[in-house]
Amino acid sequence: MKIKASSADTLIIYFSNKIEEQTSLKVMRAYNNLLDLHLEGIFEIIPSYTSIYIHYDILFYDFLLLKQILEEKLDLNSALENNSKFINIDVYYGLDVGFDLEQISKKTAISIDEIIKIHSSKIYNVYAIGFLPGFAYLGNVSKKIDISRLDTPRKIVPKGSVAIANSQTAVYPQDSPGGWNIIGKTTYNFFNKDLKNLSNIKVGDKIKFNPISKDEFLKQKGVI
Amino acid sequence: MSIKILNSPIFASIQDIGRFSFSNIGVTTSGVMDEYAYFMANQLLENKKDENIIEVYYSNFNFIVNCNTQIAITGAYCEVYINKQLKPTWQTYSLKKGDIVEVSKLLSGCIVYIGIKNGIKIPKQFGSYSTSIKEKIGGIDGRLLKKGDILPIENICSFNKRKISSKYLPKYKEELQLRVILSYQEEYFTKEQKNKFFSSIYTISNEFNRMACKLKGEKIDCEIDGVISEAISFGAIQIPKDGQPIILLKERQTIGGYPKIGTVLTIDCFKLAQLRPNMKIKFKEISLNEAQKKLKEFYNSFS
Repeated sequence: MKIKASSADTLIIYFSNKIEEQTSLKVMRAYNNLLDLHLEGIFEIIPSYTSIYIHYDILFYDFLLLKQILEEKLDLNSALENNSKFINIDVYYGLDVGFDLEQISKKTAISIDEIIKIHSSKIYNVYAIGFLPGFAYLGNVSKKIDISRLDTPRKIVPKGSVAIANSQTAVYPQDSPGGWNIIGKTTYNFFNKDLKNLSNIKVGDKIKFNPISKDEFLKQKGVI
Repeated sequence: MSIKILNSPIFASIQDIGRFSFSNIGVTTSGVMDEYAYFMANQLLENKKDENIIEVYYSNFNFIVNCNTQIAITGAYCEVYINKQLKPTWQTYSLKKGDIVEVSKLLSGCIVYIGIKNGIKIPKQFGSYSTSIKEKIGGIDGRLLKKGDILPIENICSFNKRKISSKYLPKYKEELQLRVILSYQEEYFTKEQKNKFFSSIYTISNEFNRMACKLKGEKIDCEIDGVISEAISFGAIQIPKDGQPIILLKERQTIGGYPKIGTVLTIDCFKLAQLRPNMKIKFKEISLNEAQKKLKEFYNSFS
């Protein structure tokens, strides 16, 4: 654990310099522990792949004081409370919504059916949320379909698009420009102003994608 | 009891100090770009420190009131007319039913703040009044203000006339020195690159908005291409592959993967917000200790 000042009133705790499940668990433990500590004068705590960022009130702490408190109080060995959710997400993997399926099949020499099977048979961890509200970075996608971002990002990726890029997968929570490879679409809402917490998802949750038919997708009010 | 917007503002929104504690799910903090002008407006009106305010880019904001109220105009210097009579800014104005206010020609600076006694009576959304355009939350339906909008306010009958003493009035220059705390990935920038960074004059490009300020000038090289995505501070300076610095501002994305050489001192970001494309900036290093002292002084002076 290495604590560095990132600005006059923010700091960042690094746990490793590699994306791996072990690191993610450390981040989760520290993040839950930090929330439990209920430290006063903290504006923001943002966990990511290998780090946790804290924005603090400069009238409460300076960097050295908060660093010392964190070093003393932060318990990285605390049992990870099982408050992470397991979320099943229905995905329609059709060519009419999965714009890049054919291209991925060509590049990897794996059939579209097999790509769908590979993508939907794994349980993914939510490593980080950012880029857009509710945009969850999920990993790790099987090396067999590990494919890099598009050379030119699309101007609009439709809300609900399920995408892959390298070893990561994600769902676009709203219409947005984006350069990931689109393989399907879901009606599951990751970010919604009507939700109590704005989001259905948090770092540490687990996600599995279930293939559904076009009929089922349309029944769920999916839009092609 | 309300004010009604009479013209089509170029870019105006309701803001406050920002929306905190949702960044962990990717929601931007948003909030006023120039906290100095914001706090001063609320102080003039004896409002709550974190009351909402109208943030107006490039001036051009006309409205009529249908009750008695008091307002304060701070930020960029501009021509303000009340019932066609020219008034100075950085002071309070008492208005009565039917008065028309025109926030007109910009003289210097870029963002005007219009504070209203006891604020605009709208509900907070997720803990804040701030309009966050990308997320479409806060303010009025999460959008920019437009012609015909009716903003509910209180009827106020007793006033204290106040103005800011001239020694506290900001000067908006065409050139600005921004103090930088070396931080984040600074170790991946060689001494030579850092020297280049601190000795060059940069020009503000057209890509300058509430999210970020992209600069043009000497190319800065970094030994690494990117980092594992991590949270980004207000004022963080990203160096993408093209070597042109990007300063991240209030409506920045929450996490990102470009290497960062350091962070512009918060208070200087407020000054930067008042600049425009083609104006010049220079960076100057400041120690963490000194930066914390300056920031503490700033917030203490408003608490």
